[in-house]
Amino acid sequence: MEPTQRPGTGGATSGAAVAEAPTLSSREFTVGFGAATIMSDVTVAFPSGSVTALVGPSGSGKTTYLRSLNRMNDKVRNFWRKGEIRLGDQEIHGREVDPLVLRRRVGMVFQRPNPFPMSIQDNIVAGVRAHRMAKRNELRDIAETRLAEVGLWSAVSDRLNDSPFRLSGGQQQLLCLARALAVEPEVLLLDEPTSSLDPRSTEAVEELIGRLTPRLTVVIVTHNLAQARRVSDYTMFFQDGRLVETGRTEELFERPKSPETARYLGAELATAPRS
Amino acid sequence: MTTVALVGGEVTARSRRVRNRFTWGLAAVALCLLVAPLVWLLAGVVDQAVGGWQWSALTEVTTGIGGGLANTIAGTFVLLLGVAIVAGGVGVAFGIYLADVARPGRFTGLLQAASEVLSGVPSIVFGYVGYVALVVGLHWGFSLLPAVLVLSMLVVPYVAKATETSLSRVSTGYREGAEALGMSRTHMLRRVLLKAAAPGILTGLIIALAISVGETAPLLYTAGFSNSYPTTHLLHAPVPYLTYATWTFWNQPGQQVKNLAYDSSVLLVTIVLLLILLARLLARWSQRYAPDTGRGTRRKERGGGAPRRGPTGRGPGGRGPGGGGPGWGGPDGTGGPGVLGPSGSGVGAQGPGAARQAAGSDGAGPGVAATELERPEAAAPPELARLVGAGQ
Repeated sequence: MEPTQRPGTGGATSGAAVAEAPTLSSREFTVGFGAATIMSDVTVAFPSGSVTALVGPSGSGKTTYLRSLNRMNDKVRNFWRKGEIRLGDQEIHGREVDPLVLRRRVGMVFQRPNPFPMSIQDNIVAGVRAHRMAKRNELRDIAETRLAEVGLWSAVSDRLNDSPFRLSGGQQQLLCLARALAVEPEVLLLDEPTSSLDPRSTEAVEELIGRLTPRLTVVIVTHNLAQARRVSDYTMFFQDGRLVETGRTEELFERPKSPETARYLGAELATAPRS
Repeated sequence: MTTVALVGGEVTARSRRVRNRFTWGLAAVALCLLVAPLVWLLAGVVDQAVGGWQWSALTEVTTGIGGGLANTIAGTFVLLLGVAIVAGGVGVAFGIYLADVARPGRFTGLLQAASEVLSGVPSIVFGYVGYVALVVGLHWGFSLLPAVLVLSMLVVPYVAKATETSLSRVSTGYREGAEALGMSRTHMLRRVLLKAAAPGILTGLIIALAISVGETAPLLYTAGFSNSYPTTHLLHAPVPYLTYATWTFWNQPGQQVKNLAYDSSVLLVTIVLLLILLARLLARWSQRYAPDTGRGTRRKERGGGAPRRGPTGRGPGGRGPGGGGPGWGGPDGTGGPGVLGPSGSGVGAQGPGAARQAAGSDGAGPGVAATELERPEAAAPPELARLVGAGQ
């Protein structure tokens, strides 16, 4: 359990030109539950306006780390943390930070689609309503814009008042993405967003992720290395509760510096059905 | 190796068939035992009433020696409205508190225990306490307010339990989704969680109303009775109600009054049935946006014979009613045969067989598992759902 500390691919190296989205970074960040330490000493920066993939074996702590980035672990029992996470130059655990505002700025989409039990339109604007970001008569337009953004508009334009659960799994996930985008986040955290989807829906989601940058900073946890390679600009490899290696995606895949990374990538890619 | 397995398989298949038939036989007997009393009861009540049924029962007021039941019907509905407001408000608030606000601990345990005790207290004791404390103690006299308060006390545990169960079964997916959007707790509760839990809460509320329609003892002590229509006065004005007619008129001299006792029974049963129907409709309506686990397919599946809707299929894990009887069933498994579920005491009048059966079979099942997103929240607590047939 020797803590690894690596310099992040700092904001300066972020290739994306239009860097309006703030850089998300963590510094000597350690999280755990009770006696267990899940992830130790992560010091890294997520280059703004680009997609960063978090990969690594199950149980390596990726998801816990991801959920720390918008403080979704706060209420989990026995959760503790050390170190800092910054959005721009603001420490997100600071006393002046309202976690509700933080989560509006740093959105999250989950492994399985989780539309709310309300109409499709109400789903899209649920967050907008919660943050009072628009007037009543603007809600429909917002719904349309967001649905169009995720490429769902033509499919649901005539059934905005229907239940979202009549949509396919992939469409539901796109709906959840639209819902997350509707509150105009600056960072979007994706926790294996396509693991419950069929290949075609996966493609739709990946294509959408590609369109989100450089407007947003995207962090995606994925078990699918091929996907990480397809969608991400940067990749971070986690194993046994620590960050092993980080770098530009193609470099990390082509020339991993750490033997652990090489071993994992080699084994995974050898058994993966597609590459 | 293969041969052996096949031969063994045939033998097992035969004995399995025998066991299956035996089990089905038992189930059929149980079903008859359940349905027979219901049919008998309905037939008996209707039979008695049809002989002397007079439509004037619906339009005229009671006179003590005859007349109709119009004032008692009106009074019953006024009481129902009061209970819906008071027990609904308090019960839902209490349930929300238990499910979403309270931290597990001594105080919460105490509240749950208190609620259980409350639901176990015989209704006549409520009546007596209401009489001593409200009617006499506060000089309210026989009137609407003490009657509504006492009835509400009686049924609040059911509403609270239904609310708590339904809320705690709401899939974590909804909660996480709402949190990830930065929704505040109250906003999430109002806009997302209560929506998801609505069918169960509504069902619980209607059960509570059905129970209070049938109560007699507490009302004798608190509502008094009057031969005129109920008034808008909360105090010092006795309220007529249907069960009084059933209770008092059946052994009065004069056939006309006796007939009113039978008529009131029929009306009581009718109101309860209508409430149950209402519960089903409301539950279905409130589920219009719920994940569709295939109402149709489930029906079809059940048409095949097996009425299997055990908690295994939909339990959220944790503390669903499947966990150990319909009690509060804390995480430590202290639940046991809970006093609080409708299977416990109160429902008796309305449909004891159904409730008890349901609760029994649920309690027996392994109340574990099911993935979190399997939308258990949409269903009413099984024992309630089964009683009313609501949920899906």
